[in-house]
Amino acid sequence: MRRGSCLRGICLAVVLWCTSASAGVAISGGKLYTMEGAEAEEGMTILISEGIIAAVGSDLEIPFDYERVDAEGKVVTPGFIESYSQLGLVEISGESTTVDGNIADYHLGPAFDVRYSINSNSTLFPVNVMEGITRAIVAPSSGNDPLAGWGGAVDLATGSLTHSEIALFGNVGAGTAAFVGGSRSAVLQRLGRAFRAARRYSRARYRPGEHDYRHQDMEALRRFRGADVPLVMEVHRANEIGQVVSLAEDLGISLVIRGGTEAWQVADLLAEHDVAVIVDPLGNLPRSYDRLGARLDNAALLHRAGVRVLISSQQTHNVHLLRQQAGNAVANGLPWITALAAVTRNPAEVFGLGNVGTLAVGNRADIVIWSGDPLEITTWAERVMVDGTWVPMQSRQTRLFERYKDLGGDKPFGFR
Amino acid sequence: MLKLVLLLLIPVGVIASEPYASTYVPLAADDLLIVNTTVLTGTGERLTGVDVRLSRGRIEAIGSGLERDGVQVLDAEGQFLTPGIIDVHSHVGNGPSPSIASTRDVNEMIAPNTAQVWAEHSVWPQDPQFPLALAGGVTTLQILPGSGNLFGGRGVTLKNVPSRTVQGMKFPGAKQGLKMACGENPKRVYGARTQAPSTRMGNVAGYRAAWTKARHYMEQRAKPLDDSKPVPEPDLAMETLVGVLNGEILVHNHCYRADEMAVMIDVAKEFGYQISTFHHAVESYKIADLLAAEGICSAMWADWWGFKLEAFDGIPQNVALVDKAGACAIVHSDDAQGIQRLNQEAAKAMTAARRVGMDVDEAQAIAWITLNAARALGIEETTGSIEVGKAADVVLWNRNPFSVYAHAEKVFIDGYLYFDRSDTSRQPITDFDLEQTVRGGRS
Repeated sequence: MRRGSCLRGICLAVVLWCTSASAGVAISGGKLYTMEGAEAEEGMTILISEGIIAAVGSDLEIPFDYERVDAEGKVVTPGFIESYSQLGLVEISGESTTVDGNIADYHLGPAFDVRYSINSNSTLFPVNVMEGITRAIVAPSSGNDPLAGWGGAVDLATGSLTHSEIALFGNVGAGTAAFVGGSRSAVLQRLGRAFRAARRYSRARYRPGEHDYRHQDMEALRRFRGADVPLVMEVHRANEIGQVVSLAEDLGISLVIRGGTEAWQVADLLAEHDVAVIVDPLGNLPRSYDRLGARLDNAALLHRAGVRVLISSQQTHNVHLLRQQAGNAVANGLPWITALAAVTRNPAEVFGLGNVGTLAVGNRADIVIWSGDPLEITTWAERVMVDGTWVPMQSRQTRLFERYKDLGGDKPFGFR
Repeated sequence: MLKLVLLLLIPVGVIASEPYASTYVPLAADDLLIVNTTVLTGTGERLTGVDVRLSRGRIEAIGSGLERDGVQVLDAEGQFLTPGIIDVHSHVGNGPSPSIASTRDVNEMIAPNTAQVWAEHSVWPQDPQFPLALAGGVTTLQILPGSGNLFGGRGVTLKNVPSRTVQGMKFPGAKQGLKMACGENPKRVYGARTQAPSTRMGNVAGYRAAWTKARHYMEQRAKPLDDSKPVPEPDLAMETLVGVLNGEILVHNHCYRADEMAVMIDVAKEFGYQISTFHHAVESYKIADLLAAEGICSAMWADWWGFKLEAFDGIPQNVALVDKAGACAIVHSDDAQGIQRLNQEAAKAMTAARRVGMDVDEAQAIAWITLNAARALGIEETTGSIEVGKAADVVLWNRNPFSVYAHAEKVFIDGYLYFDRSDTSRQPITDFDLEQTVRGGRS
């Protein structure tokens, strides 16, 4: 998926400027998964210069002023990418003054854009980046309107927006059915009508009815139709997944299914139409009548049918649980390397993040050195690099731990 | 004829003294010898290459080279045997899947004190979440009312067995729990209705008023009949509180913040009751020394934090720091997905501690989801560890259960094989699941 490169060019220029002062880094040894192929490589060295992967090879000459990092006995992978979160949009879920992931206003649907709310100072960024998650899609949470608005992407080291209008997000299900009058049919009809109208939309001619999208929403849809970005729809029931796939096909829209609890039932259809699915590998509860067919091997069945799988942590505060989710997908039949791709290369490609997700020469140096198998729950990220810079392994949580790890002594806790 | 009537009356009398009594009866199971396995006992030990003999629903012997003649032998080389997992905080059954208005039976939010309600009267034995928890190795679980009220009602401890009735799941002899709640939830619920409590001080005033009344009620009910004074009207909420004061009901106190836990400890002292367990307890690490001194358990998540302000200081070392201080540390779920993988939750809590250099191993960490949980529920004499004489509530894992790739292969409750991953005839299916969900056979 190709994207306009103007914004990306600006970001790249900023990154190069920021990191040009630091000398290069050489990471040698360990099991290296560049995600260019399916196998681990051993005895390799990665050279990082000016935030970019300059070389990967077995007999590289390491410049004298480079920081040398020995990864022997470790596992080296690209930084992990969360495919759906509200990072930067939510600090405390229960405190509405810190939550900007959605709107209740009927009159702002697809025009809603999260880019203006990203809080780079959020404590959630350090907590998660030191666990090896380097980038994330930031998107509106599903609401009543079938179209929730635009999402972007952030890097977790700085908490800054790297891409905006990266995809349009929405959802189809019982909730949206209630919003448009009570039937799922109406949701699909409303979506089809809106997308078709957007193709020939002009401000002068469009006369919205009471329940139609207003001008700003139609402008957003028109912009979406002119851009080569995906529509990411949260859908769980098999029938509706099929309906949304048909709709996207009719409209010529690039579609990604999110959630997709019953996607395994329509796996062949999804494969045929090249629709990627963002899966919750732990979502095996029949927690609603949209999800009665929930099962743990959804990801494995989709992969077997040829569907490209992405994985989401399902938890903004702990997007690092992405690792546990991927590990459970493996425990339930997804090949290990495919699970690793589902949290690195696949999201980078599906969302057109550009130059991340693999450790190819020329890519941004987002690299994690793990203490062992990164999909295992008894390992951890030992060092994390984003855009060629090591991330400080410190967060509000590590500070609290240091303060209270030893309750003895006379020093007041406020001074610790 | 009179004799027959009298005979019939006897069981009626027993039921009256223990209403809604357990009707659970262990199913007969053949003796089984599990050989060459690695055992995490729950008591802090790791035994390798040992045999464990299950007989008449109990763990009969543990050792090397146990007699194999005349008993069914299960070679478990490479596999791990642990005590059955116990979840001290669950809403399986009263907060079922699918979660819709007709199934939500957790929170009776009509008044700050609903100590009269019993969670067991909300439990739907056909909740498809029960067999999912079983597949995760959960053999015992406590179902609690929600935390919207200061006093949420009585909790019930269940054996995770398929049953037509909740009575058929009730853990024989287990005490009921009283769910109490600190902090944001009750004050938010009732504050929004502009009634007490709307502040934390209102919360505490609410507990103190109720306990004061309960003490008075208990004294009045205990007095010999005296025509000059009216006997107080029976009061079901007061009966629950008196049950706590008498030591017949265990207090399970939802509480996040360290300072609020310290206040609740003083409330308990003021009225003369013991708190069994603080639930959620995301700040227990700040007062682990106090909790150890008071003998109070903490039931915690591995890594949940930030969903409300009182959960904002959660750290992944909470469980291990509480354990290190010598206090009773438990990993709980409060979640129908989490309950299926409490082994993974314990593994994450262990790993977070190791990462910062703390010395914790699997033999110690397994207690967080077994023996310590049994202690919190007052059933540690019966279950929660692999020791001779205890109930054969055990799980055989295909590999180290502290791996993300591990599965519970076989789950035994009182020696009966209730779940076998490789035998679909030993995987319970609820009525709800029949021909409706994947577990109902559409896969």
